[in-house]
Amino acid sequence: MDALNNLLSTVGDAIANLIYSLLGKNPGADFAIAMLAAILICTAAALGFMALTWMERKLVARIQDRVGPNQAGPYGLLQPIADGVKMFTKEDSTPRDADRPVYNLAPLIIAIFALATYAVIPFAPRVVGTNLNIGVFYVVAIGSASTIAILMAGWGSNNKYSLLGAFRTVAQLVGYEVPMLLNILPVVMLTGSMSLIDVINKQTTQNGGAGIPFILMLPLSAVVFIISGIAETGRSPFDLLEAESEIVAGFHVEYSGMKFALFFLGEYVNTLAISLVFVTLFLGGYAGPEILPGYVWLLLKVGVVLAFLMWLRGTLPRVRVDQLMNFNWKFLVPMSLINILAVAFLSKIFVTTAGAQTANGGILVHPIIQTIILGGTGMFILVMGLWLVARRTRALRLAEEQTLAERRAQNMATAASLK
Amino acid sequence: MTFGQILFILFGLVTIIAAVMVVVRRNLFHAALFLVLSFFGVAALYVLLEAYFFAAAQVLVYVGAISILIIFAVMLTRGVMGGQSGNSQWREAAVICGILLVGLVGLLSPVAINFLGRNFGGLQWRIAGGAAGLPVVSEQILANLGMGFVDLNQYALPFVLSGVLILLAMVGAIWVARERHPAEVLAERKQIAAELAADAAAEAITTPEVAPTEQHAH
Amino acid sequence: MLNGIPLSWFLILAAALFCIGLYGALARKNAVAILMGVELMLNAVNINLIAFWRYLNPSATVGLAFAAFVFIVAAAEASVGLALIISAYRNMRSVDPEQMDLLKM
Repeated sequence: MDALNNLLSTVGDAIANLIYSLLGKNPGADFAIAMLAAILICTAAALGFMALTWMERKLVARIQDRVGPNQAGPYGLLQPIADGVKMFTKEDSTPRDADRPVYNLAPLIIAIFALATYAVIPFAPRVVGTNLNIGVFYVVAIGSASTIAILMAGWGSNNKYSLLGAFRTVAQLVGYEVPMLLNILPVVMLTGSMSLIDVINKQTTQNGGAGIPFILMLPLSAVVFIISGIAETGRSPFDLLEAESEIVAGFHVEYSGMKFALFFLGEYVNTLAISLVFVTLFLGGYAGPEILPGYVWLLLKVGVVLAFLMWLRGTLPRVRVDQLMNFNWKFLVPMSLINILAVAFLSKIFVTTAGAQTANGGILVHPIIQTIILGGTGMFILVMGLWLVARRTRALRLAEEQTLAERRAQNMATAASLK
Repeated sequence: MTFGQILFILFGLVTIIAAVMVVVRRNLFHAALFLVLSFFGVAALYVLLEAYFFAAAQVLVYVGAISILIIFAVMLTRGVMGGQSGNSQWREAAVICGILLVGLVGLLSPVAINFLGRNFGGLQWRIAGGAAGLPVVSEQILANLGMGFVDLNQYALPFVLSGVLILLAMVGAIWVARERHPAEVLAERKQIAAELAADAAAEAITTPEVAPTEQHAH
Repeated sequence: MLNGIPLSWFLILAAALFCIGLYGALARKNAVAILMGVELMLNAVNINLIAFWRYLNPSATVGLAFAAFVFIVAAAEASVGLALIISAYRNMRSVDPEQMDLLKM
């Protein structure tokens, strides 16, 4: 069991020792190991991308009462490879009036930023690119930087639909970064650290953690984080930046062949990264009961989150631009702010016995009690917010129906007087 | 030459060359993209200085927010991108900046330079740690900074004030750049035109020799 | 990693960045480009602040706090400045500061 548990780190140590024995213990060898690790992580992300496309097509097909890909290999498992071959053999065209350097660099930059997130995500104990002490902040910063690449693609293509897609991108990605950051904050407040390893440790019983995943303590944060995560990756129902039926395909309408494949890769790798970050922040990452190794737990949790995202994609219609903005600024952001305030106060008043030495003026309670208090407050804020929104939308709808009825009555009266 | 020196020269060159491109490129969109590259170079320098939080903040604030605002402004003010890159005083500006640069480099140079009988540069900094080399940055520095922001004896007041500043800037920006109703704008323009006409009429009474040409123009 | 890099290297780099930014702010014809120059100057100041913190007093937080306030002020400045530029563009169809002379009679 232990051998299975530490499989990844054992293999990693073996490779590192091999390189050290070949090159000696010097900075060059360290650099070589770091490069190798980076290549391995990027390859894993690319493999995850291929698996994800297959999974998405199969699942969405089931939701839409279809079979999905079933010709290439058993259950269509070789479909991603067939797609890749198709992409490679397509003509790589560039619009005549495109801004060539910008147009050509955009897909590359998008793929680089998508892969850069994986540098800080822990896959198993000791299996992490680098344990940055600002890990969470790094993820957000890299995510915000990829907006530039979409703007480059939109502008460089010299196409008005591309530009419209780029404009929408600015409004959506920059706007939804705010609730995302605001909902990472409670996690950081409870953990007392921005390192993703520390966040996971806090959710296990080792190293002074409470052993309770943060989704139970911060349900509101988890919900808002996953919503803004979907918006950040531009997935349905927030796929306004590439709405096929409105602005053909948004910023990547002019791209074909390998460059289009890179955009596709960027989107799916980002989706995978957001699910990984969500699992790390709110579901305890690789932590889980000892019956399965850590990386299997991680895969299972990520699979569940991804299936949830695909379910949303297959079920919900696309939102309108004004709905998108109103939802963000009038619903998610105020609720997140209230949530931060509540968590800040409650976590100081009810101090958990796990990991705390002194109450610091608060009341020492069992972690489960603290979870119930924090989680209950979060759920209360969420339900209140939803109730307010529901009341408001119903009032709007009723007012609209009333005006319609009045107009109908007026028309009837006019018609009667004409007779 | 150490590894650190090579990295410094690499990132420094990227930053400086990108910055030069920002100020000389005629295409403003390209200039904005070079600005992003320059910001990334500065972020890399922060990493070199072991201020990791500030490197991430640089990417988040400058690359993720400010340069996107700038690119957005470039796109919104489209159609004015062509033409000459400099204004009528660019030569004077270049001379001033060149003199300033030479003076600053002379003042800051690690070895003393003798110029007109005076010694410049060769400043001796009181480097922390002295001959033992730079001390390691404490793991606690970020926590200390955070505590400092809420400590009344440290930076609590400036921190709150900067929050107020951000809020005011946000409200002000929305107010200044708000989309106004066309009717409102039209009414305002009509009022201005009426005022101008009244002024012109008043001027025509006091100075009759200007009036005929103006009326002729209309 | 800072072995062998003297403090003056960082200071000279920041000085060069500042002068380039100053040239951009003085010589460009477009108000957005002027703002870009100002951002470069603010970056130069920040490099100086963080370099001084690292070399002269890495155990104190003063330098970092100053750098953080520069970030905040830069963000506020960029948002208000760009809002002003866009508003001026709406009214005069130009972003050339030399043509913004409505106050000149």
